[in-house]
Amino acid sequence: MKYRLLAATIVIAASPLLAEVDLTPPESASEAEGLEAWARIYEVASHPRCSNCHTGESDHPMWSGPSYGQARPHGMNIRAGESRMGVEYIPCQACHTTMSEDWENANAMPHTAPRVPMFWQLAPVEADWFGRSSIEICEQLRDPELNGGRDTMALAEHLDHDLILHWAWNPGGNREPAPYSLQEHVDDILIWGVAGMPCPES
Amino acid sequence: MRLTVNGTEHEVDVEPDMPLLWVLRDELNITGPKYGCGIAQCGACTVHVDGFAVRSCQLAIGDLQGDVTTIEGLGTPDNLHAVQEAWIEQQVAQCGYCQSGQIMQAADLLAANPTPSDEDIDAVMGGNLCRCGTYPRIRAAVHAAATKLQGA
Repeated sequence: MKYRLLAATIVIAASPLLAEVDLTPPESASEAEGLEAWARIYEVASHPRCSNCHTGESDHPMWSGPSYGQARPHGMNIRAGESRMGVEYIPCQACHTTMSEDWENANAMPHTAPRVPMFWQLAPVEADWFGRSSIEICEQLRDPELNGGRDTMALAEHLDHDLILHWAWNPGGNREPAPYSLQEHVDDILIWGVAGMPCPES
Repeated sequence: MRLTVNGTEHEVDVEPDMPLLWVLRDELNITGPKYGCGIAQCGACTVHVDGFAVRSCQLAIGDLQGDVTTIEGLGTPDNLHAVQEAWIEQQVAQCGYCQSGQIMQAADLLAANPTPSDEDIDAVMGGNLCRCGTYPRIRAAVHAAATKLQGA
């Protein structure tokens, strides 16, 4: 299928955003501390604010969580395509608009789809989290073949840079935020990494 | 606040979080784009911004970057867009309320994908609801418009 590239309309807003994230890892962390950190990381990764867009092979985003009732695919027959941005069908940006400079209040506008100062999109196919177990997500996240070639620091920096992830803790509307905070989640990633990225056995 | 709609520049005095649909209908009296649901679930308000279909109920006027085209600017009675021609030939509309949104989305679809399959049409047009159930005629008209554009 031929389709236009949206390059001209993809605007990575230059506006400075939200909180500064401290990326300092702990000097040491035991395996037990790492596993405790992982349990909290899994609470975040499996939360609807994150997992609804981590749908693996499926290009249908999900609607699930306390504000949606029964889990179901995103309404309006939305498909993200291979681009994961809907470029082949309806771009996510047709509703998840991006241009606001008032990001503190960007999701306070009533009756609007969530938005961030980046192009809305699904996570890569490899980051398959929706409905997955703690072990499955843990093994994906620590495998450079499946996590975009990232080590611990790169994972933490990814959380700092990718503003769509920040939205999970500031989703607006009646959406339940992801648990803990962005900084606490980054701290847990760093503890888990320093502890050697341990995964639970059961 | 300035915006260009169908080639004409306008200045409006509104709050920046007013959705584009409200600006078009209530401030500029451009009433082709319809208010259906106001929550991005029906597609009746679909317009183009720099050629791309967007739901105008979702786009705050302060965030608008680009020229707006509504159904009034897609074609004229004397010089219809191929999608509009096909819509008339296939007699798609029943009550017609959703049709300007349908046509704007279909025009965007064909600009992106000149030879869409039925599956492509369903995937792209699935966000535009028609309470009269004209979907089979919409699909036929999209195919007919594709043929017209291929021959153009």
